[in-house]
Amino acid sequence: MTESNRAQHSDAVTTAWQFTEQVPHGRDLGMQVVSVNGNQVCMRLTPQPWMFAEEDTQEICTSVLYSLADSAGGLAVFAGALELMPIATLDLRMDYLRPAIGDRALVAVATCRHLTDEVAFIHCDILSESDSALLATANATFMRNTQGQRFQAGGRKKEGA
Amino acid sequence: MSTTGDSAQPISGPTESGKECSDWQALLERIPYARHLGLEVQRDDVGLVVHMPCREALIGNFMLPALHGGVLGALIELTARVAAQSQDTDKRCPRILDSHINYLRSAQARSTFASAEIVRQGRRSSLVRVTCWQGDKRKPIASGQVQLLLPTMAAKEADLHEQ
Repeated sequence: MTESNRAQHSDAVTTAWQFTEQVPHGRDLGMQVVSVNGNQVCMRLTPQPWMFAEEDTQEICTSVLYSLADSAGGLAVFAGALELMPIATLDLRMDYLRPAIGDRALVAVATCRHLTDEVAFIHCDILSESDSALLATANATFMRNTQGQRFQAGGRKKEGA
Repeated sequence: MSTTGDSAQPISGPTESGKECSDWQALLERIPYARHLGLEVQRDDVGLVVHMPCREALIGNFMLPALHGGVLGALIELTARVAAQSQDTDKRCPRILDSHINYLRSAQARSTFASAEIVRQGRRSSLVRVTCWQGDKRKPIASGQVQLLLPTMAAKEADLHEQ
């Protein structure tokens, strides 16, 4: 699915989608949100030569897949919760099943598996776009409503935003 | 009175430590993504550390601002890879199998450092624990474990057959 379905979402998901696309690190890597369907998020990344793990191979550094899983997982928390609140990654575990080759786009499919008042449990698969080969899987736990002092200070400045 | 310090770390001479530092730097510079992140090797009073200077492209939350969790993931994975590779007598290039990272404190938009501890270096695999901090080394912001696979001759032959 390539057509964006951003328009049909609740305000919270639309804002989280826009926020995800504005994240400087996500922009640096060229991450795009493809779709949000229920509690499932799909994101995409086109590899660049500077993302490689070695000079002489075409293999993408695993850390690029890690960043994509973290971003897609974060957006999946909002897709599951349907409300805006500050979140923080508590932990993330990645398994790298196959090498990711540089001439194929990466697709991340992140699902919010379970939600409590405080925590969100996320699963994310990273696939190769051309042949749907499973490249990596991730399991992450996010803390919800992380109202730290610094966030409150930032939030006051941005009130109403 | 004994002059032996109670530090657990082996103390090496300045030439040896300088060589170790340049070895790590050379291994890092071979990784295009490590160059993109601007990673550089430094030495502190205990051993080698990898420094990640802060810049805008590393930000994950511009309201706080805070570093992206994936950027810390990259610092941890790449530090583990260089630590495992530098320990290997044949300097084989390890493949990262899995990594598990715990986020302990919020990562501010500032310089971040990482140090590696080899939990076990075997013939085929290596387990490395990496700790990240910012201002105060006693207050780590993230801690990760990375499992790496060291290529063996048998695995290389199997790869050749597959191609």
